[in-house]
Amino acid sequence: MAGALTLRVITPDKIVLDVQTSSVKIPGVDGLIGILPRHAHMVAAVDVGPLTYVEGGAEKGLFVSEGFAEVRNNTLRVVCEAGELPAEIDEKRAKEAEKRARERMGRPKSGGEPVDVLRAEAALRRALMRQHVLGLYARERVRS
Amino acid sequence: MGNIKQITRAMEMVATTKLRRFQDRAVASRPYAQEIAQLLERLTAAMGDELRDRPLFRPGAGQAIALLVVGSDRGLCGAYNSQLFAKLERWLKEHQGQEVRFFVFGKRAYQYLQKRGLPIERYFADPPLEKVDYRLAKFTARALVEVFGSGNYREVQVLYTAFESMAKYVPTVVPFLPVAGSAAEERAQHDSSDVILEPSVEALLEKLLPRYLETRIYNALLEAITSEYASRRMAMKNATDAATDMQALLKGVYNRKRQEGITKDLLDIVGGAEALRGK
Repeated sequence: MAGALTLRVITPDKIVLDVQTSSVKIPGVDGLIGILPRHAHMVAAVDVGPLTYVEGGAEKGLFVSEGFAEVRNNTLRVVCEAGELPAEIDEKRAKEAEKRARERMGRPKSGGEPVDVLRAEAALRRALMRQHVLGLYARERVRS
Repeated sequence: MGNIKQITRAMEMVATTKLRRFQDRAVASRPYAQEIAQLLERLTAAMGDELRDRPLFRPGAGQAIALLVVGSDRGLCGAYNSQLFAKLERWLKEHQGQEVRFFVFGKRAYQYLQKRGLPIERYFADPPLEKVDYRLAKFTARALVEVFGSGNYREVQVLYTAFESMAKYVPTVVPFLPVAGSAAEERAQHDSSDVILEPSVEALLEKLLPRYLETRIYNALLEAITSEYASRRMAMKNATDAATDMQALLKGVYNRKRQEGITKDLLDIVGGAEALRGK
């Protein structure tokens, strides 16, 4: 392959992914960042969202949550709090989390304590993104 | 005696499986921790001297030292806690005359500090260390950062048992806050001026620092509990072995006693028969 890029996704629990790829798109905090082989040395903050990569001509994706990405010497390391392949995403849990978050945001106050809107919002975003990734790559799930 | 042996053997087995689980997690969490640490190092290198003015990189405003002690909740784990406390005593001697306040994991450690009359600022009892996960580490790290920022402390250190191998676990004290920036030599090594930083150094550092502190706590907690189980397994194995030895010994004694009883009975019978015949 004309200059492959190594993509490695690392979370506190395990190394989720370690593959050779020809192009990667990561969800940066200021929008998508596309990375091709021989990219310059870069450190970027990663947001919650789908990370897509091309492996063997096919586009694949996984869910990542907040973290960092560093490209160096043709290796892209994504170090984030959570990284889940479509087959690993728990759809039921994501739906429940979405419901919980929506309820929390709908209430102005819970038991006298103000609701942590930012936290609820972040939870909602994670839940929606997990489902979004599932929707995008559902085919892959059926196949595997 | 056989019963005791069965119990210790069962406990040994439980400890072994738990040990394996925690050990796997401790090993699995290492790459992440390393990556985060390296990223921070490069980033701090890129920032240079500016770092010294940042709150988490310079000593706190206060005088006291906060020490997080990671002990075990339960006993029957051999010398695990006593070695930890021995290390604590040595550390205290080195820091004589300084004000130290304690933050504690583990009931045993809590009881020990209380008995020694040392000031416990906070006892993390729930969730227990047994249920350690990244969220617990996050929570703990945040609590310590808050403590550090309160203005009463100069630094935060952590006392835990580092897990080196199945047979080697060493009580260790490591500095936690302020964060040590990368050393000057290293700064020269990676010339970081040509790194693209997205979105900015500030934003990256702001996100990276908490992660770094969390992974350090996570790692310390995981290693501590792994060590605890390794130690418990050894203790239970020794107990089982001792029980086996004692069982063999007791069996000898028991058989001798039994033989004596039989001999005595025989003598009685024979004696009785003789007496009858003599009539």
